[in-house]
Amino acid sequence: MPKTIQNEDELRDALKRCPEQAITAAIEFNETRDPSLVPTIVMGIIERFVEPDVRPVVRKGDDDARLMEDLGIDSLLMVEIVMLIEETLSLSIENEELRNLRTVGDVKVYLDAKLKGLPLPTTKNLLRLEQIVAEMPHQPPFLFLQEARVNGEAAEGRYAISGDEVFLQGHFKDDPVFPASLMLEALGQLAVLYLRKTDRAEFSGIDREKIVFVSCDGVRCHRICRPGDTLQMRIELRKVHLPLVQFQGTITVNGVRVAKAEEISLSILEGELPEFAPREK
Amino acid sequence: MRKVYVTGMGLATCIGRDESSAVEHLKSLRHGIVRYPPFADPAIPVKVAAPIPGFEIVGTDPEDWVFPEGLRFRMEQYRCLSPNVLYACYAMQQAIENAGLTEDEVSHPRTGMFTASAGSAMMTWMHMDRLKRLGPSRCMPMGMIASIAGTLSFNLVSRHKIQGSSTGFVSACASSGHALGYAFDEIALGRQDRMFVVGAEDFTEETIVPFGVMRVLSSQTDPDIASRPFDRDRDGFVGTGGSVVLVLESEEAAKARSASVYAEMKGWGQSTDGHHVAIAHPEGAGLRRAMEAALTSASITTDQVDYINAHATSTQIGDAAECRAIKSVFGSQPKPRISSTKALTGHALSLSSVMEAAFSVLALKHGFIPGQAHLKNPDVEAVGLNLPRETLDEAPATVMSNSSGFGGANVSVIFGK
Repeated sequence: MPKTIQNEDELRDALKRCPEQAITAAIEFNETRDPSLVPTIVMGIIERFVEPDVRPVVRKGDDDARLMEDLGIDSLLMVEIVMLIEETLSLSIENEELRNLRTVGDVKVYLDAKLKGLPLPTTKNLLRLEQIVAEMPHQPPFLFLQEARVNGEAAEGRYAISGDEVFLQGHFKDDPVFPASLMLEALGQLAVLYLRKTDRAEFSGIDREKIVFVSCDGVRCHRICRPGDTLQMRIELRKVHLPLVQFQGTITVNGVRVAKAEEISLSILEGELPEFAPREK
Repeated sequence: MRKVYVTGMGLATCIGRDESSAVEHLKSLRHGIVRYPPFADPAIPVKVAAPIPGFEIVGTDPEDWVFPEGLRFRMEQYRCLSPNVLYACYAMQQAIENAGLTEDEVSHPRTGMFTASAGSAMMTWMHMDRLKRLGPSRCMPMGMIASIAGTLSFNLVSRHKIQGSSTGFVSACASSGHALGYAFDEIALGRQDRMFVVGAEDFTEETIVPFGVMRVLSSQTDPDIASRPFDRDRDGFVGTGGSVVLVLESEEAAKARSASVYAEMKGWGQSTDGHHVAIAHPEGAGLRRAMEAALTSASITTDQVDYINAHATSTQIGDAAECRAIKSVFGSQPKPRISSTKALTGHALSLSSVMEAAFSVLALKHGFIPGQAHLKNPDVEAVGLNLPRETLDEAPATVMSNSSGFGGANVSVIFGK
């Protein structure tokens, strides 16, 4: 267990050059251990260590900002950031656990899980295209997931609109736009992936081969997405009342929200898929 | 063997952070030694030192340090900093600008860098203290890189993307002399076209005060007399630090880019006393051989040397040994004028040799011979030596600069117009 920082003076000294709000949050966290303070502390520590010209990116709070490519944080700098986080939050972080943290969002999710004693993101949870293709009933050209991670009550996925998608030729001619319905579809697919890969207790022992869309509600699209945009998708588990499973989903592009679905409900089917009308006997 | 020219310099010294300031101090024999407040503690046996203006090393966190405008560090570079490296970054930036070199000329497979520093005692202590107090997993990742003797090389070659030959020399007070000599060889032998010679040393309590216990530091409290090489009453040296960078180039490379030339480096020699780990050979045997080797290397006779910048640090034994060595080479009434500029700067340890080489080069370029400051009563061994009390307004044509280090390593370099 790292040497803990006991008093306010020590904290202020350890966190000097961090933004004031991070220091205040750290002092409060020392008393209350309230996990909701952690993002402010961690972002403040990250801000203190990155180059000055990158600090505005950190301050924007974009969870998709990549530690290495966007913030210039190499593995050695990561060690220093982690050490200070360990001291400030009185946590012990193993090197192994750091290897999969690639974005700011990853760091926040990781620390949140750590503090709450939840399962941590590991490489087992990160799925690349080949694994997704192997796992999903959906296949190209109707698979809108290229990379995904399933963790705890959520899943994240990524899809880059290439411009070669066949339907873009007609939607629209000379003006390719990724259809809103397919944004919803992508979220649904991510939810399907979640259900098939999650190791949560309530799904264990259930055959998750057949999952169907049931309903959605509160679907809003805010921006048009075009070839060149990478959809960053996130679904979170809301309710489980088997066979129904309800999710919430959001899609962002470059940190800007482009779509949200308040509710996507899927059903895990056992037996045959229902047909539209009973067969004539 | 190709000719080697000095085409640029950068200075971060106690007598100047640029050429004109250093020249002014050398001409007027104005020293940079002060009564040094951090040594006020009665437990510290030395009271004077020569700080480098514009720099302040406050604590062990490099982000707190004060340094001149125009010098920038990325966060990742701060992590590896130590005082000697800080000074060297400043001097290097100045040297590159002074020499008029482009980025592509600096970062080139035919451009190398040899360095000299003893590493950072202060940073070593700081990191080892963390290790012992907090355990291995709480050490700063770059702790070693910021501390060990190679730190000057690691930092400077990466900061300037050096692609040619690079290494560091560790021979105490002869270190940057060795760096100069071997850099000369790289060019003369055709291996490199251009070499940076970077000497630097921390200026901190950790680096200087331990010499006090060796009884080689002056205990004088008056900055005006503490450093007095060749004087009968000398009682030890005064500590200083900083950095000097010299740019050496082959004649062809210098001509190809119409570089302005300070002087020609004509040759060098080295030899070892074979005597004692810290005390000079009484007859200065190693230094004698080093000077002879330098003269041979430069194809110069003793008659042709106009000025010798002596190593003489203001210690009883060292200065006396050098007197004997000089006489054994140049005769009992040596023709060259002799002075040790350590009277003005104090002893910069690993940095001394290249710093004094720079002063020698300035003497050649600006046409003066630095006098021997603070000399009231010459030591009996110095009788016969031509030690001008004032700087002479006379342009030397050939200058020799000596350095001696622990273990009896001696280096002598020769510059000419």
